[in-house]
Amino acid sequence: MRELPRRDFLKLTASALLTAAAAAAAAPVAWAEKFYREPPWRRKKPYWGFCVDIEKCIGCGRCVDACKTENDVPREPFYVRTWVERYIIRKDNEIKIDSPNGGMDGYPPVENPETVAKSFFVPKLCNLCENSPCVQVCPVGATFKTEDGVVLIDRKYCIGCRYCIQACPYGTRYFHPILQVADKCSVCYHRLRRGKVTACVEACPTGARMVGDLSDPQSNVSKFRENNKVQTLKANMGTEPKLVYKGLDKEVR
Amino acid sequence: MHDSVVIALRDTLDKVTGFIYPNELELQWSILIVLYPYLTGLVAGAFILASLERVFNVKVLKPTYRLSLLTALAFLMIAPLPLQVHLGHPERSFNILFTPNPTSAMAMFGFVYLWYLMAVLLMEIWLDYRKEIVGWADTDPSWLKRLIYKVMTLGVFKPTEKSFVIDDRVGRALTIIGLPSAVLLHGYVGFIFGSIKANPWWSTPLMPIIFLFSAMASGIAGVMLLYMFLCWARDVEIEMPCLDTVAKYFLTAVIVAFSLEMLESIQTAYEAEEHFDIIQLLIEGKLYISLIVIQICLGSLLPILLLGLTQIFELPEKVRKVFYAVSGTLSLIGIFAMRWNVVVGGQFFSKSLMGFTTYKLELAGREGLFSASVIAVLPFFVLAGLLWLLPPWENKPGGAA
Amino acid sequence: MKDIEHLLRVAAIFLVAIALFVAVRSVVKPESYGKLGRYRAAALDEIKALPVRYAGQQECGPCHKTQAREKAGSSHRGISCESCHGALAAHAAAPKTAKALKPEESSMRGFCLRCHEAAVSKPAKFPTVEGGKHNPDMACSMCHKPHSPKI
Repeated sequence: MRELPRRDFLKLTASALLTAAAAAAAAPVAWAEKFYREPPWRRKKPYWGFCVDIEKCIGCGRCVDACKTENDVPREPFYVRTWVERYIIRKDNEIKIDSPNGGMDGYPPVENPETVAKSFFVPKLCNLCENSPCVQVCPVGATFKTEDGVVLIDRKYCIGCRYCIQACPYGTRYFHPILQVADKCSVCYHRLRRGKVTACVEACPTGARMVGDLSDPQSNVSKFRENNKVQTLKANMGTEPKLVYKGLDKEVR
Repeated sequence: MHDSVVIALRDTLDKVTGFIYPNELELQWSILIVLYPYLTGLVAGAFILASLERVFNVKVLKPTYRLSLLTALAFLMIAPLPLQVHLGHPERSFNILFTPNPTSAMAMFGFVYLWYLMAVLLMEIWLDYRKEIVGWADTDPSWLKRLIYKVMTLGVFKPTEKSFVIDDRVGRALTIIGLPSAVLLHGYVGFIFGSIKANPWWSTPLMPIIFLFSAMASGIAGVMLLYMFLCWARDVEIEMPCLDTVAKYFLTAVIVAFSLEMLESIQTAYEAEEHFDIIQLLIEGKLYISLIVIQICLGSLLPILLLGLTQIFELPEKVRKVFYAVSGTLSLIGIFAMRWNVVVGGQFFSKSLMGFTTYKLELAGREGLFSASVIAVLPFFVLAGLLWLLPPWENKPGGAA
Repeated sequence: MKDIEHLLRVAAIFLVAIALFVAVRSVVKPESYGKLGRYRAAALDEIKALPVRYAGQQECGPCHKTQAREKAGSSHRGISCESCHGALAAHAAAPKTAKALKPEESSMRGFCLRCHEAAVSKPAKFPTVEGGKHNPDMACSMCHKPHSPKI
């Protein structure tokens, strides 16, 4: 090989470094332009979303019962696809959370109600993450996100390693004791595709739960997200849930 | 079977403290998943010890070279068993190989494992023993062994002298590939846990490297103890320069592993994020014995102290042997406790960070103590078989060809 | 050549093993896997075909006109029939054979109070009573008709 004179070599290195530095200096601008990410429901139709209005939930537990009936969820308190938590925040900042039997049979009366600063119910279900950690970790592709944005489980393909249960930050998955596969809220996908709302929405007497198509700007969920200040759970996880809450307190985990 | 799970869970309902999400009552990864990183760790550690002799030419380690390789193989053959037994549908486990999900750390297991078992370990052992195998195929008194050796020669009964020179070079190249493979195999096991952002007790980029160094400590300790035991059982003298060197590497691994663990803990405590309170409660409560007492004090500090003494003072051979044996055993127990603290400990607290569930280790059943113990003992039977077939010592009838 | 014959044989074994793996994979891999993404597309059809237990509000009105009209004008208008009457897809499909459910008259009070019992956790606007003080011995339906509860 021909030997490169030392001077030329140094020149070449210096110019390469300068080019790289210039590119690096310009990069933040380029990135900032990309910072806005178009939501997937701009491109795909339909795209399912879910909204919960905490200010409407009365903790009757009809949703939990309906979900178990509709989806053959084992009737044990430790297998739930949806559940309702009750938060009791006392004036001295003591926080108590409970969800006996997932809230299906109601709740025991609150002791010393005069010391309660605030109390409310929080329904929980699959968060419909856009970046689902459960889908990310499944070794075989038995849990997946559909074209219309719902995370589902292939019961015939799941090997039962339970990695997805570990990966879900929201505790919405359980191990089905009879089928021996992971199981979770499917947002009643079989109902959505038949033009029906989910069983929990059907059973909710106060309209605290809403399911709908985010790609339709006129849909109930789109309007709800537009007209209210909504939040997601554990936003720091970067999971980008399509389940949003109105009236979420900072203590809700 | 499934009913017994449900009944056991019903019993634990009132043992929950604080608040957990309803689905979190069941602890998903049981003692079998504790065993899995433990066994893989022994593999990686033993292999790295073998590589030291080969790649870095630490000639004094010769007596443990082959033993380390066979130990690694024996444990590697059993390592996937606890995973397999734990699966809800073991018959579907091949899905991992046929349709792996590239974003899943676990999906890579099959490939890393096969690569390591087939391409690296088996090949290396075979190349190293080939000269003897060819000889034994003729001379061994047992017809069964002669037959096995004949198969193992792959029909090349009269190898040339030059082929052994080539073998040596290929073997060396394999070890150089094998070293990063061993690191990958165990680092990857750490990544399975370290990449779970939902669990603050697991989610740290240090996890793979902590697993790696504790793996080295456990593997080296395991081979050291096996070497001492086998010398005693065969009634031959222990080669002290070799044992001393192994112990030195062992001490290094323990110190690095312990430092990394402490670094991780200090970082967690100092940053004191949202999850710090519950982790503090976890350490002071459910993990006090297994973490503070067993993992840190007995499993790390005491071995460091004992091994440190052998480095500072010129202790007589007998005392050194006792110190090595005691610290090796303690470290093996401590590292098992470490795996327990990571795997089971990480599932004790709720992702709501507001309470704890509980875990009752059953005796019987698929995921009970009994089946775990059987799996833990199995590698030793495999190793006994390997020692019978491929004796790592040289003064054996049949001898070198 | 003779010096590396054994290595060539090993290589052959590896090649056969890999070929075998590829062959088995092509047989075992589900046909629909990967069609839509990294999953079995057939699973979607299986999930879509799962049975429906709750018929949905739109199914009730056409037969139960009186009740539907009554409810539509009441404060319970937002509540779907199946919220109280339970899952009735089977009844909607075969009204003659599959009987509709009614909340038991004897447990009705408890059923009503599940929603309407006063509790600090409930939204302030929601109509509640203290069950223990509000005519404790009477069935709710004595005064409040479930389909049109206002007296």
